[in-house]
Amino acid sequence: MGALRLAATVCAALLAWSLPAGAEGIPEKYSPVVIRPAGEPGRSEFDLTAVAERAKRDNKRLYVYLGAKDCAYCRRYESFLDENSKELVPHFLEHNYIVVDLRSTLSVTQDKLLIRVGDSSRPYAEFQEAIGDVRARMLVYPMVWLLDGNLKPLMQMPAGTGTFQTVPEQLEILQLVE
Amino acid sequence: MHKTNLAGRAVLVALCWTALAAAATEANKPRGLPSGVDHTATSPEWETIRAKLFQNRSIDATSGKVQLAVPLRAPFGAAVPVKITSGLPQSPELYVKRVYIVVDKNPSAIAAILDLTPEVGQADFETRLRVDEYGHIRVISELSNGELHMASRYVKVSGGCTQPPNRDQLHNIGKTVFRLPEGVRKDAPTPAEVQVVHPNDTGFELNQITVMYIPPHFVRSIKVSYAERKVFDADVDFSMSENPSFRFNFVPHGAGELRAEVEDSKEQHFTGMLAVSLP
Repeated sequence: MGALRLAATVCAALLAWSLPAGAEGIPEKYSPVVIRPAGEPGRSEFDLTAVAERAKRDNKRLYVYLGAKDCAYCRRYESFLDENSKELVPHFLEHNYIVVDLRSTLSVTQDKLLIRVGDSSRPYAEFQEAIGDVRARMLVYPMVWLLDGNLKPLMQMPAGTGTFQTVPEQLEILQLVE
Repeated sequence: MHKTNLAGRAVLVALCWTALAAAATEANKPRGLPSGVDHTATSPEWETIRAKLFQNRSIDATSGKVQLAVPLRAPFGAAVPVKITSGLPQSPELYVKRVYIVVDKNPSAIAAILDLTPEVGQADFETRLRVDEYGHIRVISELSNGELHMASRYVKVSGGCTQPPNRDQLHNIGKTVFRLPEGVRKDAPTPAEVQVVHPNDTGFELNQITVMYIPPHFVRSIKVSYAERKVFDADVDFSMSENPSFRFNFVPHGAGELRAEVEDSKEQHFTGMLAVSLP
């Protein structure tokens, strides 16, 4: 059993390594706002100021996705979105979401990831605590936040995306079913 | 040599892709009850447990005398918050005598059996559970007159019994702490929390470094008393999250000591105490 798990880990690493360039991130069909990190090596800061202002101004919700380019589970979720875009994109629009795609890597652990809003730049855990998200204690890739224009969570989301990788379940998330 | 390496690598990657593509296809298939969840549905596991625990006794799942609050998707499968609310005050004439907490799909489905006394005052409990796969969590409340009442919730989490535990506090194992988050109320149900620092290892967690399974080691019982009078006894197992905890009520009639006697699966014994004075 242990050997099997090791093999699975190796496979996942190989999968991540062998992914074609350009396959990273939320598919274009969702019109994502792509945010790349600023900062020096060892410190990745994602600035949500502009998307928060836009959400507030246009009375929209934010569907903030944090993915890593070397994360197999991220690729899986992105593929799911891609394969089901025809069905899902209208629902993202109907429920007023701006999709935000934060592009990270697995080496950016929770102590290295910062979120900037206006003048305030907070480490991951501090940001999560400030918005009342109980995932503060552990950063898991991929991660999704559903936020309003004030960056307050619309509902508590699970770690990872494994529990909403079917169309009906993704719709539950968009409809804020708790 | 270079070509051989490349060819071998290509084959390996192709094999991995095939396996992972198959897994992804499987993962993308609708499973469980993806939408329109029926929180009151039964399951084969529940039918087996029901027969074992309650035989042919009638269980009322509609009375509302016990209620269960659990998020549909908890942030972490290894710590699913569960809140049990009783619609019945504890009185010597009629009280909640026992509370059963069941996680249908867990390797050990009976997460806890709580044996209560009227000293609880109000049989409301909060705790955190491991949930291993999509399925129902149930709470069955047995009254002192023999009636059984049930509430259930379908939850969408997985991996709760296999997630690597946080092992930061192994030096504190067994440390048992009480808290009184809302102060003390004389002669009235007073909320209290008891927590045992313990990894509560399931036996299904993998040590990421040694790639060996961590042997099971978990809390078996927590017995809580106040002023030397039993409040509740909990028989528990690894379906409780690491650092098992309960929020509960007790009724202080005078100054006394809250005491917890804890035993784990290695027959280690721990004790926690809190002196309570009345305002």
